[in-house]
Amino acid sequence: MIFLTLMFSTFREAIAKKIFLGFFAISTLIILIFLFLINVDSVEGMVDMMGSSGTEGIKQLVIGFEVAMINISYLLIITFCFVSVASFIPSMLEKGNIDLLLSKPVSRTKIILAKFSGGVLLIFLSLIYLIGFVWLILSLKSGYWNITFLYSIFWLTLSFAIIYSIIILVGLISQSTVLSIIVSLFIVFIVCPILAVREEVIFSIVSNSTAQFILNFFYYILPKPSDINKITTNIITGEAVNSYMPVYTSVLFMLAMLSLSILYFKKKDY
Amino acid sequence: MNVISTKNLSKEYSSGSYSKDKILALNNFTFEVESGEIFGILGPNGAGKTTLIKILLGITHRTNGEIKIFDKEISDDSYKFKIGYLPENHKFPNYLTGEQVLFYFGKLSGMNDADVKKKTTEYLNLVEMEKWRKTKIKKYSKGMMQRLGLAQSMLNNPELIFLDEPTDGVDPIGRKEIRDVLNNLKSMGKTIFLNSHLLSEVELICDRIAILNKGTLVKSGRVEDITAVSDNFRFVTTETDEKVLNTLLTNYKTTIISNNEFVYNSLNPEEMNKMIDYLRENKILILSIVREKDSLENMFINLIESQN
Repeated sequence: MIFLTLMFSTFREAIAKKIFLGFFAISTLIILIFLFLINVDSVEGMVDMMGSSGTEGIKQLVIGFEVAMINISYLLIITFCFVSVASFIPSMLEKGNIDLLLSKPVSRTKIILAKFSGGVLLIFLSLIYLIGFVWLILSLKSGYWNITFLYSIFWLTLSFAIIYSIIILVGLISQSTVLSIIVSLFIVFIVCPILAVREEVIFSIVSNSTAQFILNFFYYILPKPSDINKITTNIITGEAVNSYMPVYTSVLFMLAMLSLSILYFKKKDY
Repeated sequence: MNVISTKNLSKEYSSGSYSKDKILALNNFTFEVESGEIFGILGPNGAGKTTLIKILLGITHRTNGEIKIFDKEISDDSYKFKIGYLPENHKFPNYLTGEQVLFYFGKLSGMNDADVKKKTTEYLNLVEMEKWRKTKIKKYSKGMMQRLGLAQSMLNNPELIFLDEPTDGVDPIGRKEIRDVLNNLKSMGKTIFLNSHLLSEVELICDRIAILNKGTLVKSGRVEDITAVSDNFRFVTTETDEKVLNTLLTNYKTTIISNNEFVYNSLNPEEMNKMIDYLRENKILILSIVREKDSLENMFINLIESQN
C-alpha cells in the first residue's frame, strides 16, 4: 500500500506540474496531424492507389506510417520525458521533504523503486494514448490491423525506463534537475549514437586495437536506445531481428543503474 | 520503561566533499527518554540536536553507538509505524491541499483510507485548520504550515512524536495552543521529543531536558532540578515595621526588597526557622515562601558560555 501511495504520488506530481497535460496536448496534436494527413485528398488517393495494387500495398503504406510514428514517439520521449521527469528525484530530495519521507515506515529501496515505477507507468499510459489512437485511426482508415505496432508501446516504454534509470542516479548524486537532463541527453544523443556506428565509421578511421577495444567495451556496457528503436521498427515491418543483444545489455545497464541508485540512496545521510 | 535509549552514540561528518577532515557532530551521546514524558533537547546552533533527531529516525546514519527505540535496535523500519515527526522547515508538496497532505502522509504511515479520513478531520479541528482543509498549501502562512505539520505528526496516533521547532513562526496565541496540544498528548500517555530554541517554552512544558554543546551532552535531568540552583528564598509577608526590618537585615542573611518582601540568602534551615519564629512573635504573617530558581535561559547561557 505504501509503495502504491509513493508510486501514485509521482502521478499527482506530474499532473500538478502539468507534465501529463503537456504530454496529452502534444500527443493529441500528433494524433490530429495524423487524422488530417490521412484525410487529405492526396493521401486518400495514395491509399486508393495502393489499395488497387492489393492488400500488400495498403499494408506497406500503413507500416510506413507506423514506422514514422515510432520515430516521432522516440524523439518525443527523449526530449519531452527527460525534461519532465528529471525533476522528480531532485524535488524529492529537497530539505524538509526528504526528512519527512525517510521518517515514514518505508525502505529507501522501495522509495527509489516506487519513483522509478511511477515514472515508467506515467510514460506507459501516455504512450497507450498516443500509439493506441494512431493505431486505431490507421487501422480504421486502411482496414489493416497491424497488432505488432502496439508492441511498440512496450519497446518505447523500455527505452524510456532505461534512460530514466540514468536520470535517477544522476539526480540522486547531483540533486540537480539540469545536470540530470544534460548527462542523460549527452549519453543518449551523443555517446550512444557514436558508439552505435563505431564499426561503420570510427573503426575505418581508428585502427588502434586498444582504442577499438575501449569503444567496443563502452558500446556493450552503455544503453542502446537507438538500437532498440531499430528492433521495434523491424518487428513492425516484419523484418527479422538479428540479435536482441541491445535489449539484454540495455536492461542489464538499467538494472545496474537502479542498483547503484539504491545503494547510494541507502548510504546517504540527509 | 524507556522509549528511547542511546549508548555512546557518535556521528562524524566529512567537513567537505573531498576533505578528509572530520567534524564530530555527536560525541558518545548516552541518554534515555521515558515513556509518557516530554523530553526537550537544547543547545546552541550546530550543537548536534537535529543530527540526533535524524539519527533516531534513520534519516542520517550513526558512525558508532547503540540506539534502541521501543526497546528494539533500529535496524528495520517497523518502529516508524509508531512514530510521528515534524521536521524543522518541513516542505510539503505545495500543489496539495491541507487534507491531501494529511491523506498522503497518513497513507505513507501505513494507515487505511477510512482511518486517514477520520483522523484528518479530528486533527485539523484540533489544530484549528478545518476551514482551510480544501485550500492549496501554497497559500498557507508559516503558522498555518506549522499547525498542519503538527497535525501530520499526530495523524497515525503515534506513541512517540519528534518535534523539531514546532512553534517556529507561530504567534504567541498559537504557541499557547500548541503547548496545550502537547500537554493533551502527554495526558494521553504519548512521549514527546522536543527540540526548540524557545527556552521559556521548553521550561513550561518539558519534564526533562538534555543540553548539547558541540555534540557532547553537558547536562541532563528534570527541569526543576536543573533550574533550582539558587540558595535564595523569597518571603512575602504582611506589612512589617522599621524595627523588624532592621533585625532581619542585621541578624539574618536577608536582602530587603520592600516592607512586605525580602529574600533570605542561606540554606541553613535552623536559622531560617529561627527567623520565622521571630516574625511570628512580632505578629507578622508569612504569605508565601518561594525558593528562587535560576531561569532555564540564564542557566543555559551561563553553561554554554562557560563551556566555550
